[in-house]
Amino acid sequence: MRTLTALGNEIHKGLLHAWSERLQIFIELPMFAVFILLLGPLLGQGQQIAAGHVRWSLDSGTTSVLVVWFVPFIFFYMQVVKTFWRLLGEIQTGTIEQVYLSPLPSWLVVAAGRVVAASIETLLVAGASYGIVRAFVPLHIAWTPAALLPAVLIMVSAVGVSLIIAGATLVWKRIQLVNDTVLMLVMLFSAAAIPLITVPGWWTTTSRAFPLTAGVANLYDTLFQHRSAFAAWGTGGLIWLLVTAAVYLAVGILAFRLGEHTAKRRGTLARY
Amino acid sequence: MSTLALPRTGSPALAVRLVANETRKGLQLLWRRRALTITFVVMHAITFLGFRLLIGGGHIVTPLLAATLPALLAFAVAQTAALQGSGGIAEEINGGTLGQTQLGPASPQLQVLGRLAALTAEGLGAAVLLGVVFILGYGVHYSYRPATLIPAVLTVADGLGYALLITAFTVRVVSIGAITHVFGMAIQFFGGVLVPVSVFPHAVETFTRFLPTTLGVQALNATLAGRSLWTGTLGWLVLHVGVSLALGATVYVRNIRRARREGGL
Repeated sequence: MRTLTALGNEIHKGLLHAWSERLQIFIELPMFAVFILLLGPLLGQGQQIAAGHVRWSLDSGTTSVLVVWFVPFIFFYMQVVKTFWRLLGEIQTGTIEQVYLSPLPSWLVVAAGRVVAASIETLLVAGASYGIVRAFVPLHIAWTPAALLPAVLIMVSAVGVSLIIAGATLVWKRIQLVNDTVLMLVMLFSAAAIPLITVPGWWTTTSRAFPLTAGVANLYDTLFQHRSAFAAWGTGGLIWLLVTAAVYLAVGILAFRLGEHTAKRRGTLARY
Repeated sequence: MSTLALPRTGSPALAVRLVANETRKGLQLLWRRRALTITFVVMHAITFLGFRLLIGGGHIVTPLLAATLPALLAFAVAQTAALQGSGGIAEEINGGTLGQTQLGPASPQLQVLGRLAALTAEGLGAAVLLGVVFILGYGVHYSYRPATLIPAVLTVADGLGYALLITAFTVRVVSIGAITHVFGMAIQFFGGVLVPVSVFPHAVETFTRFLPTTLGVQALNATLAGRSLWTGTLGWLVLHVGVSLALGATVYVRNIRRARREGGL
């Protein structure tokens, strides 16, 4: 019961943080939608762009796939970047040490509040992005409750990645530029999971190790190919999806514990 | 009770010393985190290569790389300065040391000038490294002329104006750092890192000109391609730089004064 109360309090705190950042979320809204709209005609068009010829037409099929590719990325952004900034704020003000007064494991305190807030923020931003994009081009996505399975596993992977970043933050503090790159790489490599561009073999192979690829591939298979979300094998197969989610979460917890241990040993857990 | 008279900042020599002190502090911090700075440069390079592969359909299209490289360098300056400027101020506010800096004789204007000089060094260091790696690595050829320095300097100044504005907003809203990442994505996408802005539809191209680095990159690309500097965007670029630096400085000083008044430092 005490654990549940502590968990509920962390979630409440996370939601209060999210509410205090409502202006930021409002600013973010149109940007994601515009990215989705403009990226479609540019993917894989390097030669034509170099020659100065781009055909700016919105294709319904391409844009629908882009939406399904981008929404999980929005969640990754909300989870990873905002966990980092919140944790950094706690390190700088010294309140991070209060985490150890809680009955919960420290990694759970850091991740739990953020994940619910990030889910709600993502629902809002993704919903609005969907609406904005839908106003320009019809979207054909075969929504099914089975898509919740990859969605949840993507969230687990995102929590793992955010904990890896959090562990690094405890040791090196201001690593905000690392966030930028990590997120960009996650997004770029997950492009291998959707059939919008032809990527080299090494890209496909490498992309399987990235946390978003299996989830996006499973979502694509489920929502566009009418395959079962429970199909076991392949890039988006349930087994690989479960493996990546479990590994990222486990590595995240380990990295956080390691960062915490290092910071405690150096006496630099908080900096004030 | 004894009182200690602070030296007046009216003398130019003292003002220079105060700015130099702030710059030195910034450079010392930069040196302490040099390993992280090098990591950032490597990561900028990997991201850029990723973009090139995404747009090239898994291949590097060298003419496109050459057309977008100046935008990457401008982005490296602007985003490094914005993230480090915002992160630095947030750290000082959260740690309580920003209030202490206000006890010295340096005005907020002089302090921020010193900070900007250090951020410029950090951003330019990253940009130079990236430029050397890609130009040598991919055999990119540009038409180097002394006139290229004019848009280059203006682009750096424009990026610093943006960084100053973000830093100023951080004084008011400490948690603003997270949104800098979205702005960074917007600058990469619309500022010419992903594709040259000239390929965007006219309305989008017009919008991109309000972003921190776009006009500078257009002028830079023109001179690097051997075209004249005096046609096109130079006038707008000068105006953009003036407005962004003036706006950044005004908002910064205003927010510092407000924070002092309200006890928000």
